[in-house]
Amino acid sequence: MTTTAPADTAVAASAAIRARLPHRYPMLLVDRVTELVPGVRLTALKAVTSNEPWYSGLGPDAAEEDFRYPQTLLIESWCQAAGVLATWDDPNPEVLNGKVMLFGGISGVEYHRPVLPGDVLEHRIELSRALGDTLIFEGVGTVGGNTVLTVERAVLTLRPAGTLRPVPSGAEN
Amino acid sequence: MTTVAPVAELRGSPVAAPVEVVEAGRQRSVTRCTVRADEPVLPGHYPGFPIFPGVCLVECAHQSARLTAPGGSAGAPPELLGVESARFTGPVYPGDVLTIELDWRTGERGLRCRAKLRTGQGQVAQVRLRYRETEEKPA
Repeated sequence: MTTTAPADTAVAASAAIRARLPHRYPMLLVDRVTELVPGVRLTALKAVTSNEPWYSGLGPDAAEEDFRYPQTLLIESWCQAAGVLATWDDPNPEVLNGKVMLFGGISGVEYHRPVLPGDVLEHRIELSRALGDTLIFEGVGTVGGNTVLTVERAVLTLRPAGTLRPVPSGAEN
Repeated sequence: MTTVAPVAELRGSPVAAPVEVVEAGRQRSVTRCTVRADEPVLPGHYPGFPIFPGVCLVECAHQSARLTAPGGSAGAPPELLGVESARFTGPVYPGDVLTIELDWRTGERGLRCRAKLRTGQGQVAQVRLRYRETEEKPA
């Protein structure tokens, strides 16, 4: 079981992931890569805790279901794992230089069950197709062997860093 | 001017900015949301270069959908079953005002909401969400 792999046997743990992705707290949502076949597939873990900022404003009356991990962040976490696979051979942890990874779109996402603090998400990513600098991924997210998320198609593109800069305009802010 | 302010509080969502309903129709609605400079996600996305994440645009569409769902005011907000598609076509920065147009349809696979998001620079995303249908409570 990859979920029990200790950090010292991981393909990439926290420091290695930070050297590969530009995301940082509170938006670095991949903790460990446990399996990798470059250019083919990757398995990564993300541990969910009740200490994450998404829960900071919940008061004493919050119900268990209020602690469901934000569904949109399940996509973000899964796509960051895809990003590690996308840039494995040529990582760039910066957004202002070199080629940066952009999230072009996603389709066919299905949520199967809620994810809660204490859960360890295991993302399984496969590269479906690579068309130049556009990469298409598919796969699932699981918790304890149960599928919580399926992703039919996620599109990541690599673009020169300048693509992201705001276009200067005379308009008001 | 730089001020030190407490980090915005979040209630189970990664977006702090409130969503305001501008127009509420049975099938079509419009909402608005201003991306705050102190959105909690921005220090990490990315350090020194804050850009509003694509999934947060999906979140804004989702929060808008929860506020405007047909029959939604009658009971619990509808449950998000899936993201049929999301396409990101333009960057969004702190201070941008998002205008979100929602179009609801009922189909075989539940309630569907198509959302178009734009800023002053034009369309930035198109999102299709699918929800479990909630029973409308009799008045």
